[in-house]
Amino acid sequence: MASETQPHGGAAHDGSAHDGGAHEHGHFGPEMWVIPESAGLTSDIAEKQRSSSTLFTVVLYAGALLTVLGVIGFVLRLLDGFSDHRVWGFYVAAFAFVFTLTSSAPLAACAFRFTKSHWRRPLSRISELFALVSVVNILLFIPALIALPDILNPLGASNEALDIRRTIWFRVPGGSPEWWQFAGMVGLAVNSLGILWLAAMPDMAQSRSQMTGFRASLYRTLSGRWYGTKRQWQIQKAGLAILGAFYFMLLVFMQFLVVSDFAMSLIPGWKDSILPPFYTVISFQGGLAIILLMAYAMRRWGGYREIIGVAPFWAASKVLLGLTLLHTYHLFAFFITYWYGRLEVEQNILNYLMFDSYLGIFWAQLFFTFFIPFPILVSNHARRLGWGAPLAGIFIIIGLMLFHIRIFAAAFASSDSESLYYFFMLKPIPAATFPDLWDIFIILGAVGIVMLVFRLGMMLLPPISVWEMKEGAMYQRVDTLIRGRYLVLGKPE
Amino acid sequence: MVVDLDKCTGCQACVVACQAENNIPINTKDYFLQRRAYEWIRIERYWEGEYPNVKARFMPVLCQHCENAPCEPVCPVYATYHNEEGLNVQVYNRCVGTRYCINNCPYQVRMFNYWHPNWPHRMENQLNPDVTVRSRGITEKCTFCVQRIRRGEIQVEARAGQRLDDNRIAAGNYDPACVQACPTSALMFGDLNEPNTAIKPYFDDVNNYPGHHEHERETRGYRLLEEMNTRPSVIYLKKVDQYPLADKGAH
Amino acid sequence: MQEGKVLPAAQINRDLLRSILETPRWFWPVVTLLGLIVLVAAITIGVMINTGLGITGLNYKVVWGFFITNFVFWIGISHAGVMLSAILRLAKAEWRRPATRAAEVLTIFSLMTAMIMPIIHTGRPWRILYWAFPYDFARGVWPNIRTPLVWDPSAILTYLTSSTMFVAIALVPDFAVLRDRTTGWPHRIYTLLAMGWEGNPRQWKLQIIAGVLLSALILPVFVSVHSIVSWDFGMAVAIKSWHSTVFAPYFVVGAVHSGVSAVVFAMILLRWAYGWQEYIRHEHIDALGRLLIVVATGWFYFLVMEIVFGIYGLEGDELAVRALQFLPTESGVPYNIWMIVFVGITYFLPVILWLPRAWRRNLWIMSTACISVNVGMWLERYLLFVPGQANKQFLTFTWNDYLPQPAEAIIVGATFAFVSMLMLLFSRVFPLVPLYDIKEGDILKTEIKVGRRTVPATFRED
Repeated sequence: MASETQPHGGAAHDGSAHDGGAHEHGHFGPEMWVIPESAGLTSDIAEKQRSSSTLFTVVLYAGALLTVLGVIGFVLRLLDGFSDHRVWGFYVAAFAFVFTLTSSAPLAACAFRFTKSHWRRPLSRISELFALVSVVNILLFIPALIALPDILNPLGASNEALDIRRTIWFRVPGGSPEWWQFAGMVGLAVNSLGILWLAAMPDMAQSRSQMTGFRASLYRTLSGRWYGTKRQWQIQKAGLAILGAFYFMLLVFMQFLVVSDFAMSLIPGWKDSILPPFYTVISFQGGLAIILLMAYAMRRWGGYREIIGVAPFWAASKVLLGLTLLHTYHLFAFFITYWYGRLEVEQNILNYLMFDSYLGIFWAQLFFTFFIPFPILVSNHARRLGWGAPLAGIFIIIGLMLFHIRIFAAAFASSDSESLYYFFMLKPIPAATFPDLWDIFIILGAVGIVMLVFRLGMMLLPPISVWEMKEGAMYQRVDTLIRGRYLVLGKPE
Repeated sequence: MVVDLDKCTGCQACVVACQAENNIPINTKDYFLQRRAYEWIRIERYWEGEYPNVKARFMPVLCQHCENAPCEPVCPVYATYHNEEGLNVQVYNRCVGTRYCINNCPYQVRMFNYWHPNWPHRMENQLNPDVTVRSRGITEKCTFCVQRIRRGEIQVEARAGQRLDDNRIAAGNYDPACVQACPTSALMFGDLNEPNTAIKPYFDDVNNYPGHHEHERETRGYRLLEEMNTRPSVIYLKKVDQYPLADKGAH
Repeated sequence: MQEGKVLPAAQINRDLLRSILETPRWFWPVVTLLGLIVLVAAITIGVMINTGLGITGLNYKVVWGFFITNFVFWIGISHAGVMLSAILRLAKAEWRRPATRAAEVLTIFSLMTAMIMPIIHTGRPWRILYWAFPYDFARGVWPNIRTPLVWDPSAILTYLTSSTMFVAIALVPDFAVLRDRTTGWPHRIYTLLAMGWEGNPRQWKLQIIAGVLLSALILPVFVSVHSIVSWDFGMAVAIKSWHSTVFAPYFVVGAVHSGVSAVVFAMILLRWAYGWQEYIRHEHIDALGRLLIVVATGWFYFLVMEIVFGIYGLEGDELAVRALQFLPTESGVPYNIWMIVFVGITYFLPVILWLPRAWRRNLWIMSTACISVNVGMWLERYLLFVPGQANKQFLTFTWNDYLPQPAEAIIVGATFAFVSMLMLLFSRVFPLVPLYDIKEGDILKTEIKVGRRTVPATFRED
C-alpha cells in the first residue's frame, strides 16, 4: 500500500483512493489518479494471476456449477422440442441477456480509447476479456434461431394476403433471417476476439518468456512475431481503431436484428422505431455495469487494489449515469408516443408490456434500472468511494434481466393465435407467462457461464492491460501550477 | 348520425344545404385553384373498376364527432372540446390558429379560413343569423348544426312552457341541414340518449361487436378508420352492390 | 508540440476585444444590408398579417409548411450551444474553449428567431400571446396542458432563460475587462454588467461553480427542448409518418448535427472577419469535425431506423406517405429527388469531407461541409413534415400537395439574415470568444516529454 495522503481529509475516502500516488500537496480528488510506476507491473500481474483469492475460486466453481444447471435445464427444455416455440421464450430471454451485456463490453475499451480517457486503462482488458463470451453467444444463439418462428405466414394460410407477420426482412431471399443473423453473430465473435488478440498481443509477448506450461505455448503462438517495433505498434493501434469502429457498427446492426426479430416482430402490431436504439443504449449500460462490477471484484477481492484505482469508478460512473438517464429517456419517449396516441393497438401493447400483463415486472425493472441506481450514481460520495458504480451496476444488471423477460419472453409468449384480428391489434391481450423450473435453470446457467468464461479468461490472459498502463504512466506527470500540485495528462494526437 | 352508403347517390344536396345553413364562404374558382375550397360535408367520389366497366362510389365525409377525438387534446386553448351532449364543438373566439387540430384529424374535416369570408353584397341578407360568420385565421368544422338543436330546444320549451329535460325533445326537431336536404334519406340523425331512435340499433350493434368481433355484426354498420380508436359518432352502412362489377378492382 | 503559442494576456485582450473597441470598415455596410433584408421580411410579415395567411402556399390539407420547418430548423441550431459548452465542459475537452461563447450566443439568437416562426405561422400573432406568454389568469381559462403546443413554449422559454444565464455568467469576467478598457457611457454600462467583478479567488470559485452547475442542470433542458418539439409531430396520430417513437432522440441528435455545423461555420467566418487566427485554430476546427463525424453517424442511424420502421409496419396509409417520399411521382413536387439530395448532402458528402485530417483543417472544405449539412437538415425537416400532411390517411380523395409561395421564402430566408445581424451586433458589444476561457486554457496548457517526443498535455483541475 502506498502512502495515504488525501488533502481533502480521509473521511471521504476508503483509504485507497490514491494508491500508488505519493504526492503530498496536490489538490487531488479521485479524478487525480496517478498510475503506479510500471517497472514490475508485468511480473506483478502474472503473480496475481497465479495466486487466486478465495472469492475467485468460489466464482470459478459457482460458475461451473451454474453452467451445469443451465445445461441440465436446456437439455430438459430440449425434450419439449422446437415445434411449440412458446416454451422457448425464457431461453431466448436468457440468451439475449448474455448477448446484450457481454457483446457491448469489448466496445467500452475501444470507445474510451477513442476518446483518450486516461482512466480507462485498468478497465480496458477487463472489457476486452468479454470477447471470449462471444463464443458462448454463438452457441446460445443456435437454439434461439431454431426456436424462432417462421417469419412468414403465422396462420399457415396459402394466400399471400395473409403474410401478415411483420418482419424487417421484407422477404430478403436466401435464408433470412437465420443464416444472416448467424453470420452476423460469428462476425461479431471474430471481430471481438480480434480486438482482444490485438490488444493483448504486447502483453503476451512480454510475458511469453516467463510463462510456463500451457500459457507459454499459447502466448508464443499468439504473439510470436511481436517485438514491439514502431511499425508494429502503429499497426496495432490502427488495427484496434479500425476493428473497434467496425465492431461498433456491426454490433449496433446485430442488436437491431436481434431485438427486431426476436422481440418486436413477434408481438403483433408492435411497430416501434425506438426499440433498436433503446436496446443499444441498455446494452451499453449493461456492458459498462458488468465491467465495473468485475473491476470492483478484482480490486476488492482479487488483489488488484493498487493497480485499479478509484478513478476508473469515479469517471465511469458518470458515463453510467448518463447511460442510465438515456435509458429512461428512451423508455419515456416510447411510452409517451404510444400513450398519447391512444390508438387501440398501441394501447394494447402498452397494456401487455407495461400496465397489465407485465405490470409487476415493468415496475421492478424501472426501479432496478432507474430509481435505485440513479441516486447512487448521482451521489458524489458513493462515486468517490468506488463502490457506488458497481452497486448501481448490480441493480442495473438485475433490471436488465427483468427487461429481457418482459420483452423477449413476452414476445415468444404472444406470437401465436387463431384469430386474424389478433395479428393486427394484439387483442385479446395475452396473459404474462412464468418460467418453469427448467427456465430458471437456464437463466441461472446463463449467468453462470458468463462468470465461468470470464474467470477462465482471467486465468488465461493478463487481466490488466499492462501496455496501456505503462503508456498511461508515460503520459502523466505531477507538476506545480501556481501554488498547487496537479496531475498533468498528455494527449497525443 | 348514420350514413347509409347504399342510399347515397352523390347528389351533393347535403353539401349545398350545409353551405347555405352554416354561412360557409362561396367556393370560388380562385379558392379551388389555391386548394383552399372547403365544405363541412364533402362527397368523396372514388372510381371502381376500369373504363368502361366502371362505377362511382360516393361517401359523404363530415366531422365524425369522435368520442375520443384526436383534435381535442392538442388544442392549446380548448377551442375544441366535448360538450355534455357529446358534440365535438369548436369555439371560434378561442381559436388562435395553430392548426394542430387539422393535422391531427384523420378525417380531414377541419378547415382553416385563409381569407376573410366575402359574399356578394346582395347575398349578405341570406346569411343565417343563427350562425357566426367566421373571421379569417380560425379553424372551423361541422357542428351537427348545433344552432338547430338549440332552436329545437327553445321551441319545445316554449311550447311546453317549462325547462327541457333530456327526454322531451322529439326526433325531427333538430335535424341538421344535410339530413333534412338528403333526397334519399341516406343520412339519419338522432339522439343516442333516446331509447327508440332509428339510429340506435346501428350504434348498439357496432358498439357490441368492436374490433375483433367485427364480422359478427348484424347490421352493415362500421366506423370510418375504426383502427384509429377515435370512436366516431357517425356510423357508415356498407354499400351492398346489387350488380357488382365483373372485374373486382380495389375500391 | 502544442499547436498555437501561449500568448500574453495583454495581447489576448487586445486581439479579442478588437471587434468591440474598433469598428472594421465592412461592419456597418454588412449590418445595413442584413438589416434591409430583415426589413423586407418584416414588411412581408406585415402584409401577411394584414391580408391573411392566404398569401402563403398553405392549403386546406397542408397546414404546416415553411414556417414550421424553419421553426424546427432554428430550434435545432440552438442545440449547438449546450452541446459545445455544457457537455464538452463536463467532459473537460480543451478544444471547446474558443467555440463556447459563439455557440451559446447562437443558441440564444436562434431560439429567439425560432420563436417568431410559430407565432407568425398562426396568422393572428396577437392571439397566440394569450397562451405562449404570461397567461391571462384572471379569466380563469387555463391553457390546455395536454397539448405539445403548450409544452413547447414552456420548454423553449426555459431553455432561453437558462442559456441566457449561462452566457451572462460566462461573460462577467470579460465584462470586467471591458469595463477597465472603456470610457464614457459604455464604461458605465459595462460597470453595471460586470457586477463588481474583481477577479478575486472567491469570485472565480463562485463563477466556476455556477458554470458547472448550470452545465449539469441545462442538460436535461437541452434534451427536453427538442424532444418536445419532436413530440409536436410524434404525438399526432392522424399523420402516420409522424407518429414514430424514435422522433425524440432522432431530433435531438439531428439538432446537434446541424447546430455544431453551424457553429463551425460561424467560427470560420469570425476567424476570417476579425483575424482571430491565433485563437480559432485549425486544431479546434479539426476536433469539431471529428465530433461531427460521430454525431452525423448517430443521426444517420436514427434516420435509417425512422424509415425502416415506417415501412416495416406495411400499413397502407403510411406506405402512401413513404411512396411520396421515395418513389417517383408523375406530377407535383419530386420529393424523391429531394430525398436523395437531402441524404447526400446531410450525411455522405460532409462525412466524406470530414474524414481526412487534411480536409478537416482546410477551412474552405469545412465551410462547404457545414453549409451542406445545414441545407440538408432544413430539407430533412421539410421532407419529414410535408409529405405526411399531403398524403394523409386512406381518404385519398383529399390528398393534396403544397407549393411554398414567395412570401414564405422571403421570411424564411430573412431569418438567416436576422440571426447573422444579431450575431454581428452582439460581437460589437460583447466578446464572441471568451477571453478568460482562452487564458485559462493557456495556463493549463503544458507539455510532456516521452522519449524524444513532446506530447501536448494539460493540467487537470479539480
